[in-house]
Formats: sequence, C-alpha cells, structure tokens
Amino acid sequence: MRNRELAFLIMVGVLTAVGFASVYIARQDVISTSSLTYAGFFFALYVAAHLVTRYTVPFADPYLLPIAGLLTAIGLTEIYRLRPGDAFRQGVWIVVGVSLFSATLFVLRRDYRRLETYKYLFGFTAIGLLLLPILPVLGKTVNGARLWIQFGSLRFQPGELAKIMLIVFLAGYMREKREVLAQGRLKDWGPLLVIWVLAMLVLLETKDLGGGLLYFGIFLAMLYVATARIGYVAVGLGLFLIGAVGVWKVTPHVQDRVTIWLHPWTEHKVYCPTADSFTLRQNCQSFQLVKSLYSIGNGQFGGTGLGKGTFTTTSGAQIIPDLNTDFIYSALAQELGLIGVAALLLVYMIFVLRGIRTSLLAQDGFSKLAAAGLTFGFALQTFIIVGGILRLIPLTGITLPFVSYGGSSVVANFLLLAVLLLISNRANREVLR
Amino acid sequence: MMVSDSVAVDELLLVLKIAFLVLLYLFIWRIVRTASRDLRLPQESFVLAPSAAVGVQASRPGPLTGRLVVVKSADLADGEDFELNSAQLTIGRGNQNDVPIATDEYASVRHARFEPRQDGVWVQDLGSTNGTFLNGTRLDRPRRLTQGDIVRVGETDLRYES
Repeated sequence: MRNRELAFLIMVGVLTAVGFASVYIARQDVISTSSLTYAGFFFALYVAAHLVTRYTVPFADPYLLPIAGLLTAIGLTEIYRLRPGDAFRQGVWIVVGVSLFSATLFVLRRDYRRLETYKYLFGFTAIGLLLLPILPVLGKTVNGARLWIQFGSLRFQPGELAKIMLIVFLAGYMREKREVLAQGRLKDWGPLLVIWVLAMLVLLETKDLGGGLLYFGIFLAMLYVATARIGYVAVGLGLFLIGAVGVWKVTPHVQDRVTIWLHPWTEHKVYCPTADSFTLRQNCQSFQLVKSLYSIGNGQFGGTGLGKGTFTTTSGAQIIPDLNTDFIYSALAQELGLIGVAALLLVYMIFVLRGIRTSLLAQDGFSKLAAAGLTFGFALQTFIIVGGILRLIPLTGITLPFVSYGGSSVVANFLLLAVLLLISNRANREVLR
Repeated sequence: MMVSDSVAVDELLLVLKIAFLVLLYLFIWRIVRTASRDLRLPQESFVLAPSAAVGVQASRPGPLTGRLVVVKSADLADGEDFELNSAQLTIGRGNQNDVPIATDEYASVRHARFEPRQDGVWVQDLGSTNGTFLNGTRLDRPRRLTQGDIVRVGETDLRYES
C-alpha cells in the first residue's frame, strides 16, 4: 500500500515540476530562477509525510495523501503564478500543515478513538472558536463576513478548525445516541439541538453563509448515516429552506448575494451602494462574479496554459478581487481550460470516494460517522465554492480545499486528512486480519 | 526578445501544457484502475441502521459469541453474566459503559473493551491507569479469549465462557 502511495507521490512531484516550469517560462520577466527549487522542496516535504505514514499508519488508504499533494501542488503553482509573494506564505502554511498532520498521526497512532471521550470538549471548543471573531479586539471583518481573528500580522479563520471539531463531536454523540435518536424523543435531541442552535446563531451573527450551509449539510448527512431515516433529511432540508427564506427576508447582505446570483448583468443602471451612484450592476456588486465568469470563458476547452492567462488589466491592476483564495477555481479554469478543471474535479471526486470507502470499511460507529462526516464536509465545501463560482448556487466565500490560498484552510484540511488516514488504517487492518 | 524566440517559447509552453494535462489524467486513470479493484470489496452498509446491521450479520458467518460471568466484584452480583453477541462491550467506572462498575475505585472510566470478531472474542485495554489482566498477566496488546479465561479490571474479575 505504502509503495503505491510513493509511486503516486512521484507522479505528483513530476506534475509539480512541469507546472512550475511552465509558469517560470511564461513569466520569466517577473519571476526569478530560484522558483524551480519550490518543486523540489515541495516533493521533499511530501516524501517526509510519506515516511511518517509508513511508520504510523501502514495500512491506510494509499491514495489520499498523493491526492492532497496534487491539490496543494496545483494550488501552489497557481498562487505562485498569480502572486509569488503569497506562494511563499502558502508554502510555509503547507509545511505547518504537514507538521501538524505528522504530529496528529504520531499522537493518535495507537487508538484515535479516544477522541470520542472528549466529544463535549470538542463540541464546546468548536462553538468557542466560531465565537472568537465576534470578540471586539480579535475579530476582523472581511467582505461583510466576520470570520477572522488577528494577532498582529497573523490572521486566522477559526471556523475551519471548528468544522473538524464539530464533526468529531457529532460522530461521538450520534454514535452513543443513535438508537434513541432514531426513535425521535425530544430529550435525547437536547444537547444536539443546543449545540446546533448555538452554531447557527454564531454563523448568523458572523454572516458566514457558506459556513452555515456547510455545517448544516454535514449535520444532516451524519444524522442520516447514524439513524438511516431519510425523513430526518427531508425535514432538515425543509427547515433549511424556511430558515434560508427567513434570513433572506431580513438580511440585506443575503438579498444582495441572491440578486447577484440571479441577475449579475443589468441593462439599466441600478443603485450601487459602494460607489453611492447609479451604474450597471456588472460594474459594481456583481463585478467579481462577472469577471470571474469571463475568466472561465476565456479558458475555453484547452485553457491558455499555466502562466499565460489574463488576470490583470494592461496597466497591471488585478481584475478579480480575491483571485487566489475564493476565486482560484476561475483562475485555474482559465489557464487549464475545461479539460483541466474537469480533471481537478475528478481528483476531488476520487478523494471523496476513498473517504466513503473508508467509512464503509470502518468497523465501529464512531469511525464510520467521523469518516462520513469529514468526507461529506470536504465534498460539500468543494461544491459550495465551485457551484458559487459557476453561478449554480448563490456565491458565498469559502475556500477550495487544499487549493486556495489560506493558512487556516490548509492546516485544517491536513488535520482532516490525518484523521481519515487513521480511520482508514484501522479499518483496512481489520479487514486484512 | 526576438520573434523566433517567442515562437519557440510558445511551442515549449504548449508542450508543457499538454504534458501537464496528460500527467493529470494519467494520475486519475492510474488511481481509478488500481482503486476500482478494491472498491467492490466493502459490502457492509454505509448507514448504521440497526435493522440493516442485522441483515448483514445474518448473511455472514458472524463473529463468535460468548458471555462474561462475574466472579468477584464490589459492584456486580457474583454469577451475573453479560452476553457477547455482535456488539462490542466496554467496561469501566463511567456509566456510559455496557458493564458499568461505578464503585470499583481501581478501574478507569473507560477501562477495557471486549470485541467479538470472526475468529473469537478479543479483549483490549483502553489505556486504563491500573491495566487489564488476562489470567494474571497485564495486557500490552489485544488478546483473544479462550474458554475459562479470567479477565481482571480494577478489582473486578470476569470469566469468559464461549
């Protein structure tokens, strides 16, 4: 298994080298030669991670780590192409992510199931983390959502970590109570609903719509896995729709998002709040989305090639705001084309398939639920951001796992990967025995 | 930069672009090929429905079962027994355990686990403070039980009967 992992990692290494070479050649005027060492360094980092998995989780799924490697490689290449300065920081975050990944594997290699013992701690820590950005000194509002905490120059989005903790809590709680949950007595639902309502209130307060959708989706999926009651999912979706309409009615921020989604282009001038004047909507509120759609369109089928896309005006100003975080998918769609991003989505799908397989093979309820929750969260997050960029659903800012620029996201996804590998290691070992 | 140079650069970039895409799809293809073999393996339900679980159990040979009989305990009556059928059984001072021994001060909150598997019933220490003993030997890894084995948790002794 581990040899297979190494073989795939070598492929990822070659891919990274090709990607960086392409960016380097296309943008010689902007970039220095030392850039090529990135690819080498990157490969060395993953070989180190591979050695850790060899020692700690010898039976774990051999595809998950190379896929994470591939996704971070594609992300890093694109970030490097867009803003070389950010690529260095992203590289540092990947190193931090891989270190925490290794540390998690070492600490929990004997029995990760003791996580279950601390489920309430995880649940309340998650709520605490979600609350942190609301605090007046630490919190920071970016693009209408209050999701960040800031210490000096270091910014962090605690919601990403809270997601994983919440999944661990839900897995532990639902494992213990699944029979009674299936019967549907209110008493047993209490703790679940309390933490639930708290999380939702926090999200409403921080105006993190994508996060709200993500947590709710994870909750419903895990509830279904635990109880096998499709009725709960139907009720949950119904409640979600009612809640969404309610939030839409009272929150101008949400109304804006929906308007942008349904009518990004206008023929007549409409009021533009940021400029306080009348202008076409595509030049104001939906500017980002519309330019991103043009960017995707410009990529056509085969893409412009890495390093050759158009992301700046002739004067050098960047066209799309947040291109390397939330909108990295549209940058990739331009440079790799439909064929390239289709491959990217396939890679995400394989990751999800392997996660579901892990959940299927796991022997105990906690592992099954945790693997299912983590995998579903990963899939839904990808769907929310890619769907938002492609105008399938209203756009909400959320990161593309492993690819987007952003420290908290990268670190959290590596932790997610570590837990999945631990579950997979145990499940496969039992199957082999 | 001369015109011929930029043409050469463009060609090189085209080659690199194609190489990148080919490698990307090769990666996917290789994974799908090697992984599709073991995707067919898992037959157990994804959903944890009790009813579904029963169905799965019935179609397989099923794990071996047995029971645990209390030999000596401060908390439980001597001779009381616990069925080991398909589910795991945990023992410890916490009341969320399947076998709660609240008054045994030498037991940890989650002390040990009994797990019926295809090849027999296994006992595993869950990182307890004072350890779990099988016939007087402290467990350092999961062990398979045989008829008449005595498992000691804190000050509680249990006998395994298949």
